[in-house]
Order: sequence, then structure tokens, then C-alpha cells
Amino acid sequence: MRQVLSVDSIHTFYGNIHALQGISLEVNEGEIVTLIGGNGAGKSTTLNTICGVVHAREGQVVFEGEDITTLPSHDIVLKGITQSPEGRRIFARLSVLENLTLGAYTRRDRAEFKRNLELVFELFPRLKERQTQFGGTLSGGEQQMLAIGRAMMAQPRLLLLDEPSMGLAPILVQEIFTIIDRLNREGTTILLVEQNAQIALSISDRGYVLQAGQIVLTGSGQELLTNPMVREAYLGEL
Amino acid sequence: MAIRNGTRAGLIFGFIMVFLILIGVPETINVILQEATTNIDVETGQVINTAAFLFVMGVVAGFAAARKEEPDPLSGAVLSGLIAGLITGATTGLMIIILRSLALSEIDLREYLDKLSPTAIESLALRLSPILAGGAHVLIFALSGATGGLLNWIGRGPWRGPVGQMISNTRDRLARLPIVAQAQNSPITRYVVWAAVIAVVMIVPQFLNDYWSFVLGTVGIYVIMGLGLNIVVGMAGLLDLGNVAFFAVGAYTVGLLTAPEPVGVLWDFWTALIFGIVLAGLAGVILGVPVLRLRGDYLAIVTLGLGEIIRILIRSDLLKDFTGGPRGVRDISGPSLFGLEIGSERTFLYFILVGIFLLIFVTIRLKNSRVGRAWIAMREDETVAQAMGINTLNYKLLAFGMGAAFAGLGGVLFASRNQFTGPEDHTLLVSINVLAVVIVGGMNSIPGVILGAFALKGLPEILRQLDEYRVLVFGGLLVVMMILRPEGLWPSQRTRLQFSDEDEPVPIELSSATSAAPTPIKADVEEQKQAATR
Ligand SMILES: Nc1ncnc2c1ncn2[C@@H]1O[C@H](COP(=O)(O)OP(=O)(O)O)[C@@H](O)[C@H]1O
Ligand SMILES: [Mg+2]
Repeated sequence: MRQVLSVDSIHTFYGNIHALQGISLEVNEGEIVTLIGGNGAGKSTTLNTICGVVHAREGQVVFEGEDITTLPSHDIVLKGITQSPEGRRIFARLSVLENLTLGAYTRRDRAEFKRNLELVFELFPRLKERQTQFGGTLSGGEQQMLAIGRAMMAQPRLLLLDEPSMGLAPILVQEIFTIIDRLNREGTTILLVEQNAQIALSISDRGYVLQAGQIVLTGSGQELLTNPMVREAYLGEL
Repeated sequence: MAIRNGTRAGLIFGFIMVFLILIGVPETINVILQEATTNIDVETGQVINTAAFLFVMGVVAGFAAARKEEPDPLSGAVLSGLIAGLITGATTGLMIIILRSLALSEIDLREYLDKLSPTAIESLALRLSPILAGGAHVLIFALSGATGGLLNWIGRGPWRGPVGQMISNTRDRLARLPIVAQAQNSPITRYVVWAAVIAVVMIVPQFLNDYWSFVLGTVGIYVIMGLGLNIVVGMAGLLDLGNVAFFAVGAYTVGLLTAPEPVGVLWDFWTALIFGIVLAGLAGVILGVPVLRLRGDYLAIVTLGLGEIIRILIRSDLLKDFTGGPRGVRDISGPSLFGLEIGSERTFLYFILVGIFLLIFVTIRLKNSRVGRAWIAMREDETVAQAMGINTLNYKLLAFGMGAAFAGLGGVLFASRNQFTGPEDHTLLVSINVLAVVIVGGMNSIPGVILGAFALKGLPEILRQLDEYRVLVFGGLLVVMMILRPEGLWPSQRTRLQFSDEDEPVPIELSSATSAAPTPIKADVEEQKQAATR
């Protein structure tokens, strides 16, 4: 299996706060890999370090054989990594269509744009119905769909999803994860961050458990789901 | 309800009237009206004009009072208007009894308030004796207040139901006609509308004298600067308080390149114009490099300092030999076309108008382009914009440079029209005025910028009769305007969304790339609401 992403013992700081203390992980082509961990463990920071929103002070991020550790985020998009960020952060005062258009900012080919748009609308028919509506007027679930759709518009070779289930009703969580699973089956490599470990691990090939900026456990999705420590800490079982 | 609403409006308007009288507004309006209507003799005119002014104010008071009344019984609206009028009238009536008595006993009130001249008081008292004058005020305000209440009721009263229905039905039916729909979507309609607008605007100066051409020219220059700053503040979301720096670059470029002193190269105006725009734009980019890494408040403060630095530099002794120091630059040349000097204020106004249309064209093109979208994304969420692949620093520089170039053009026009520029043309006030144009008009809206420039640079000229109270009245009007329309006079759709209720979706129609069938947004919203209440 071809390796798409390899993160090699990165240390990321916010001022004096040592948020990531030597994280290493890898993602292979066609996989869904999940990072689970409690609040403040460093999951979002890991994703942000990969896509260049923050930069690692030590260590290396290698994407498709190329060192991208110090690249600014707008160049990393060009390399083929996009993120649906924590809290969705869609452009509230732009229409759905404009949000998607911005997602495709790096894709200047019109025919390709139309194809991607059709693809996203096919994944999320509700977005198509609401394409002229302002992003801020969508419901939470629709906003999440828009955030994922926007990230897909750049045709990423690696899609980062930060807590897509956050604040959604269980039925919507199910719906979103069905779509994530489908995206992956259709060929998108995904690195997923979730608090909702049960559902995330159940569709994942592999997973990592993050604690206080370090990886404490790794294994296949099934292994982690049955691991006693994971069950206790993240699945609410004793 | 009627009593409370009426009393409240009455007190407010009574207070406003006292204030207006003290600063001489009625007399000013009287003078303006007298100039406009020459065939009435002065004394009759005095009475009619004042009475008309009082009546109009009373109508406004009554209208305001009736605003919160129930639509149904007509009596509520009229009663609250009447009460408002009575109270306003009683207030001004009392005041006029005192003023008129004092004036008749030969006490010169101008010692205390210079607007209270005997003639002003005479007009206000409608040339009547004190007591009669007081009574007349009460009567006029009572009548006009009730009229205002009635007008308000008519405006939204029960009769509006069927008639309003009919109007909106007809409109809907018209909109559904294939021809209308086709015309609405066709670019030809747009061209025709634009051609009509341009034609009308181009005819207007023919009816203006030199003074009003000059005033409109100033408004126009502020429209140009406002369009520029709107790119920076409205589209890209960068709070720039140093716009005057680039205005100064433009003004001094044309000044130094075309005036005989202090440099004396005596270039042609058109070359200087291009240099002015380009240099200002370049200055924007160069100064932007260190400055634009800052966000929000810091950016505002640093740009503010930048404007001041430029002004201090140009008036300094150090650069006196290059900039003329405090004395400025004289005899700046104006444009000429095919050998013809553009000398008169009117021709210069045309020149400015052409510039405005060009810039509006550029702005619209930018707004709907990749660049415009990048700016908006950056303004909404810089981090996410970067994560979409937008190089935000470059786009900030571009916005800053474009804003600077527009301001530079403003400076070129300003200096060349006045044939002079000096340090005092380039104070902080210029930056603040331009920013106010953008905000008062409505962020990110081209008609907003135009209205804002009229409100901020045209209105003060109309109020010029008020002399030293001009700024006070102007300030008051601005405050009232921002309370009534916090989103600006003509906001863009996006801004409207921000200021509207959060849970009230604003459906809009934006051009869709896939041109799918229009979606039943209304129905969806209803559905959502129902789902929310369930
Ligand atoms: N912008 C920031 N400034 C300072 N500290 C931050 C910032 N973002 C995150 N942190 C800190 O870094 C640590 C990891 O945060 P984060 O990656 O957001 O955790 P998670 O996504 O797992 O909840 C936390 O201790 C958090 O307080
Ligand atoms: Mg997080």
C-alpha cells in the first residue's frame, strides 16, 4: 500500500504551551484513519499542523514523498490536502454555492469545477436545493455537509475532517458518517478526528489514541473498539 | 396607548424644536425658501414659510407618535398624533411667548445666542403678538400632528389589505410573463439601464451653476475615494485609517509634476495623472508589506499613524524644497482635452463623473471575480480562507494597493481642480470622512458609497446657511441616521443579513453556476421553523 502521509515526531507549540509532544502517524492510500482523544489532547492541533495552519517546531510532515512541514496553508491546499475544520467555519454570509466555489479556489478549470460541483451535489442533495441560501441560515447538519462539500471541491488526495459529528443529533451523525464512509469507498483517503469514538472507529481502517499531546495507543479500528482502555476512556464503559 | 405614545413623541419633538430654534434652523429655512420664491413679498413669505416649516415638523411628530399604535381604530393614530402636536406646540408656544415678549421690550437676545435675531423671532412668532403667537403654534402643531397621525394610519391602515394585495398580485403576474422574465435575465436590459443612468447623470450638470458644480465635484471626489476604501474595508475587511496618505501622494504628484514651483518640470496633466495613480498604488503596496501582517485594531492604529506621518513630512522644513512645506504647491495645471482646457467647474465635474463610472465598472468586475471572492472569504474568516488556498497576504496587498490607487486619483483630481494643494488638505479628517462615507452609506455597496458621499459632503453644503452650527446639526443627523439605519443607507445584501434577526433567514437569489431551477426557499424556511417548534 502506498503511503500518502507520514508525520514524524512533530512538536507543536502555542507560545509556551507544548501542545504536540512528538506525534508520529501515517496514512496510506485509500484508508480512513481516526484520531481519538479527550478534549485538549491535541487532535485539532495535529490536523492544523498537517495542513499548515500552525507549524511544527520539530519533526516532519511528509505528503506524497514531499516535505511540507514549513509550507503555508495556501500552498498545502495546492499539494492536495484540504480540511473540514472543527466547528465547520463555513462562510456564513456567503451563499452555499459561493462557499463551494471558494472550496474550489485552487481549481481553475471550469469543466472540472462543474464536475466536482455535480459530485458534491450528488453526495449532498440538500446543498443543491439550498445553493442560493446564505451559509449562516443552514441547519447544523447542513452546515457540516457544506463544510465537507467545500473541502471536497478542491479534489483532495487527503481529506482531513475535524469532529464532523460535533453538536449534531444522532440521526444526522449517522447520515454524515454514512457519507464519509461512501466518500472513502469511492477513493478519498481520509484522516478523521472524532470524540464519537464508537461510530468513527467502526468505519475506520486504523486508529490512534491521543493523550496530552502524545500517541498512547494504535491499532486497527476493530482492535481499538475492543481494547479495554479505549472502551473505558472513550466509549463510556467500565 | 395613544396618550403615552403621543406624550413621548411630543416631548421629544418639543425638545428638538427648541434646539432647532436656538440654532436658527427655522430662520435659515425661511431664508432659503425666500430665495426660491421671489414673487411673494418678504413679510407674507416670512409667515408662510415659518408656518409651513412648523406644519411639516408637526406632521413628522404626529407620524412618529402614531407609529406604535394599533392599526385598527383610526382614532388611536390620530389621537396620538394630536397629543404629540399639542405637546410640541405647547413647548414651542411657551418658548415663543417668552422670546417674543423679550424682543418686543427691546432686549437683544443675540447677546446670549446669536441666532435669536429680532427678525428670526418675528418670523417665528408669525408677526403676531406674544400670546397669539403661542396660540398659533399650539394650533398649527395640533393640526399637523393629527395630520401626521392620519397619514401614518393611511400608510398602513386596514384599507391597505385589499389594495396592497392587488398591487402585489399584479406585480407577481407581470413578473411571470415570459417577456418580463426574459428581459430581466438578459444582459441587454442591464446595458439599457446603465445607459439610462449614465445619460441622466450626464445631463444633470447642465442645470447646475458653478457653485453646485463645485459641491457635486467634491462629492464626486469622495465617491472615488469611498469606492477605493470600500475595496479595502468593505470587501477585504481591512480597517484602514490612513487613506489620506495616498490621497496626498496623488495630490502632490500632480502638484509637483505640473506646477512651476518648487520642482518646475511642468509635465502634461495626463502624464501626471497616470503617475499619481500608479505612485499612490505603489505606495499602498510598499507601505502595506510591513503593515498588513497586523490584524484588526493594530492595523487601524498603524495606518492612522501613517497618514499623519505623510502630512508631517510634506509640511516639514526638511522637505520644503521638494514639497513647498507649509505653503503648499500653487498653480497646479488642470486637464485639457484636444487642446481645450477643462477650466470651468462644470466641465471638471464631467471629468470626475467619467472617472466615477470607470471606477464603478472596475469595482463591479472585481466584486464578481475570483479576486472579489477571495477578499470576501478573507474578510469573513482569514484562517479558513488560507485553508482554501488563498494567499491572504497577496490579496491584502492587492486590496490595499487598489484602495490607494483610487485615493491617489481622488488626490490628483482634488489638487488639480483647486490648482493648489498644501499640508492642510491632508489631515486625518480626510481619512475619517472617507471611512464615514463607506460606513454611513453601507459597507460593500456601491450605491451606498454614493449616498454616503452625498450625505457627508453634500449635506454640509446644503446646511452651510447654519454657519457655525452646521457641524453640530450635521453630527446630530449622523447620529440619528446611524440609529435608524445602523447597517448604512443602502447596505449590501450580505450586510443586511448581519443586521437582521439571526434566526430569520434571508433568502437571496445569486446567480447560480448550474442554473438549476429556482428553489422553493420560502417553503423550506417554513418547514425548518415548524421542525424547530416541534
Ligand atoms: N490557539 C491556541 N492558543 C493556545 N493554546 C491552544 C490553541 N489551540 C489549542 N491550544 C491548546 O493546545 C492543546 C491542544 O488543543 P487541541 O488541539 O485543540 O485539542 P483537541 O482538538 O484534541 O480538543 C490544548 O491544551 C489547548 O488548550
Ligand atoms: Mg479539537
